[in-house]
Amino acid sequence: MLRTNLTILFIVIGTLAVYTAVANMIPQVASEVPEATTISADVTPEELAAIGEELYAGAGDCAVCHGLGTRAPDLVGVSGTTCATRRDGLGCKEYLYESLTEPGVFVIDGFQPIMPDMRRILSEAEIWALVAFLQNQGGEITVTAADIPPESAGGGAAAAAGTGGASGPGIDTAVTDPVELLRASTCLACHQLGEEGVALGPRLDEMAGRLDPEYIRRSILLPNADTAGGFEAVAGTMPMIFGDQLSAGQLETIVRFLAGER
Amino acid sequence: MLRAVTGAAALLLLALEPGLAQEAMAEAPAYGDFPLIGARGAIWIAAQVHLMFAAFVLGVPMFAVVVEAIGIFGGGERYDKLAKEFTRLLVVAYSATAIWGAILVFVLATLYPRFWAYLTTIFAPSMWVYAGLFFLESFTLYLYYYGWDRWKKGLSKQVHLGLGVALNVWGTIVMFIANSWLTFMMSPPGDLAADTAPQTVRLWSAIANATWMPINIHRLIANVVFGGAVVGAYAAYRFLASRTDEERAHYDWMGYVGNLIAIGALIVLPFAGYYLGREIYEFNQQMGITMMGGFMSWLWIIQAFLIGVLFLTGNYYLWVGMGRIPGAERFMPYIKWMLLVLVIGTIVWATPHTMIANRREIAAMGGTHHPFLGVLGVMSAKNTAVNMMILTTFLSFLLYRRANKQPVVSWAKTGTMLQGAAFVLSVAIVLFYGIYGYFVTAIVRIGFSVYQVLAVLACIFFVIVLDVFMMRGASSRGAIRWGQMPARSQYALFILAVTFTWLMGLMGFARSGIRQHWHVFEVIRDTSPQAFTPALGPAATMISICVLIFFALVGFIFWLGGLAETPAASPVSARSSSEME
Repeated sequence: MLRTNLTILFIVIGTLAVYTAVANMIPQVASEVPEATTISADVTPEELAAIGEELYAGAGDCAVCHGLGTRAPDLVGVSGTTCATRRDGLGCKEYLYESLTEPGVFVIDGFQPIMPDMRRILSEAEIWALVAFLQNQGGEITVTAADIPPESAGGGAAAAAGTGGASGPGIDTAVTDPVELLRASTCLACHQLGEEGVALGPRLDEMAGRLDPEYIRRSILLPNADTAGGFEAVAGTMPMIFGDQLSAGQLETIVRFLAGER
Repeated sequence: MLRAVTGAAALLLLALEPGLAQEAMAEAPAYGDFPLIGARGAIWIAAQVHLMFAAFVLGVPMFAVVVEAIGIFGGGERYDKLAKEFTRLLVVAYSATAIWGAILVFVLATLYPRFWAYLTTIFAPSMWVYAGLFFLESFTLYLYYYGWDRWKKGLSKQVHLGLGVALNVWGTIVMFIANSWLTFMMSPPGDLAADTAPQTVRLWSAIANATWMPINIHRLIANVVFGGAVVGAYAAYRFLASRTDEERAHYDWMGYVGNLIAIGALIVLPFAGYYLGREIYEFNQQMGITMMGGFMSWLWIIQAFLIGVLFLTGNYYLWVGMGRIPGAERFMPYIKWMLLVLVIGTIVWATPHTMIANRREIAAMGGTHHPFLGVLGVMSAKNTAVNMMILTTFLSFLLYRRANKQPVVSWAKTGTMLQGAAFVLSVAIVLFYGIYGYFVTAIVRIGFSVYQVLAVLACIFFVIVLDVFMMRGASSRGAIRWGQMPARSQYALFILAVTFTWLMGLMGFARSGIRQHWHVFEVIRDTSPQAFTPALGPAATMISICVLIFFALVGFIFWLGGLAETPAASPVSARSSSEME
C-alpha cells in the first residue's frame, strides 16, 4: 500500500506542478493599482489634457470600450469636434462633463447605455482632466483650473492616474537631424530605415516621391486615419502620441525628410 | 461535531450587530498583517480551502439523496449502501468546512477589520440567519447519517429520505446567503457610493445584486461536478487499497458513478458560465472586458487546457473501463478517432486569440495574429471545438452504455440509424455555424453559439430518450466484470479530482480578480499594500498550495473513511452486475 500511496502522491503533486508550470510559462500580466497623481490648483489646460490622456488609457479604463468601434463611440481625434453639437443648450465642456457623470441622460444613437458614472472611479479633478483631454481631440480646451472644485484639486485629492498613457515630456528640442529625430521618437521600433529598425510598419525610406507631405503628416498625427495596403494586420498599433512629443519644427523636419524634400 | 458547533459559534459571535459594527469600523485599523505570506495570502488560502470543502459538503448530499431515492424506488440495497457511503464522507468533511469557515472569519476580522465591519453592518441579519441554518444543516446531517440504519424500512425510510432533501435545502440556502456577500463585492447595487453609510443600505438590494443568481446557479452545478470528482477519487483510493474482489467491485462501481456524475454535470456547467458572463457584462462592460480581454485573457487559455485534460481523462477512464465489458471490443476501433477529435478540440480551444508579443515578434509573425493559428483563436473555432468535444464525450458514454447490450425491440436497427443521423445532423450544424461565423459580424457570430449549443443538447436528449426505449429488455452479451480495472484507470480518477479542484481555484481567482483593486467594485477601494491583482503565474502557485492543503486533508478523511469501516461483504458482486450500469 505504501507504493500505491506514493504513486498517488506523485500523481497529485505532478499534476499540480504541470498546471503551475504552464501558468508560469505564459505571459505574466498583473493588474497594478493606479498610481496616485496630483492636480494642483494652478494647473494649466494643457497639463490637464495630458493628465486626462493618462487617465483615458489608465485608471479611467476608457479605451476598453471607446476605440473598439462597437461598444462605444470612438473618441480619440474626434470628440473635440463633435461635443459642442451633441446636445442642444450644452456647450462642449458641459456636454462632456455630463457624459462622464450622468452617462444615461444622453446616449448616442446606435449604442447601448453601458457607460458607468465615472464619479465612481475618478475624482472630480480627474473628470475635468478627462474633459480637457477629450476637448483636445480636434477641439479647443476650455477647461480651466477654475472648473475644478477646490476640495478636489491638490495633493490631498484621491486622484489616481493609470499606468497606461504614453504622452511623454517631449523630445529634446535641440535635436534637428531627421534620422536622430526618428530614433528619438522610437519610430524605428516599428519601421525600418535602411538596415536599421524593425519591419513591422511600412519602410520609412520608401515613402519619398510616393507619398505627399500632407499624407505623411496626417499619418504621424492621426495614425489610425488610414492604413497602408498590406499592413492591415497591424492597424491600430501605432500610438497617437507624436503630436505631443514633437515640436512643430521637428514634425516638419521628419515630414520633409520622409517625403524626400531634403 | 464539536468543531462544527464551534465554527458556527464563532460565526455567530463575529456577526456583529450593526451598531457595534459601525463603532468598530470607525475605530479599527484598515488592515492587519500576517507573517510570511501577508494578509492577502492568508485570506486567499482560508477562503479557497473553505470553499473547496463547502463545495464538497454541498455537492455530495445532492447525489447522495438521489442515489438513496433510486435505492428506495426499485434500485435495491446496493444503491442505499452507496448513498450511505457518500454521506459518511460528509460527516468529517463537514467539520473541516466549519473549521476553515471559522478561520476565514478570524482572518477577515483581524486582517481586514474595517472592511469586515462594513460588510457586517450591511449583512448582519443575513449572518444570523446563516448561523441558524448552519446549526440546522449540521444536525440534519447527523440525523441523516446516524439514523440511516435505524430508519430503514417503510414510512421511516421515506422520512429519512426527507431528511436528505431537507439537508440539501438548508445547504443550498446557506450557500445562497454566503454567495450574496461575495457577489455584493463584485456587483454592488448601482445607487451605492463610497460615501454611502452602510447602515442605510437595504439588505435585500445588497443580496439580490446583479451576479447573485448567476453565481448561485453556477456554484450549484459546479458543486455537483466537484463532489462527483472527489467521490470518484475516494472510490479510486479504496479500490487500490481493496483486499477482496468484492471490495474492488464495489469501489470500481462507485468510481464509475462518481465520474459519470462529474462529467455529466460538467457538460451543463458551461451554459451556467455563459449566463454568469453575460450578467457580468450587463452589470459593467469594463468588468466584462477586463475578464475576457484584459489582463485575464490568458486565464481562459489555461482554462481550455484544463478542460481539455478533463475531457481526455474522463474519456480515457471510460475507454479503459470498456475493457471489462463483454461486447465492447466491437467499438474499440472507433476510440482512436474519438481521441483525435478530443486532441484537436483541445488544441483549437487552447489557441490564444491575440498573442502577447513584442514588436520584433509581431514583425516576424506578420501581424498581431498568427497567419495560420490566429484563425483558430477566434470564437467560431473555439465554440466548434468545444461542442465537438462534448458530442465525442457523449458518444463515448453511449458506446460504454451499449457495449454489453443487444437490443431486442423490432425497430432496433431503425433506432440506431436515427441515433446516428442525430449525431451527423448535430455535427453538421456545429460545423456549418462554425465556418459561417467567419463571414459575419461579431454580433451575429455570438448568436451562432446558441444554435450550436442547441444542436448538441437536442442530439443528447434525443439519443438518450431513444436509447432508453430501445434498450428495454435488451439481452446481455455478458456481465460487466466490475473490479477488473487496471490501476491506471484509478489514477485517472485522481487526475480528474485534482484538475477539477484546480479549475475551481482558477475560476475563483477570475471571479475575485476582476474586482481588481476594489473590495467592493467601484465603491470601497482596497488601499492595502497588496491591492494589486497578481499575474497568472503567482496566482497559479497560490491555487496549487490551496489544492495541496485540501487534498492533504481529504486524504486524511479518506483514510478515516477506511478506518471506520470493517471489511464487509460488498453489496456488489465481482461477477454479476448488469443492473448496475
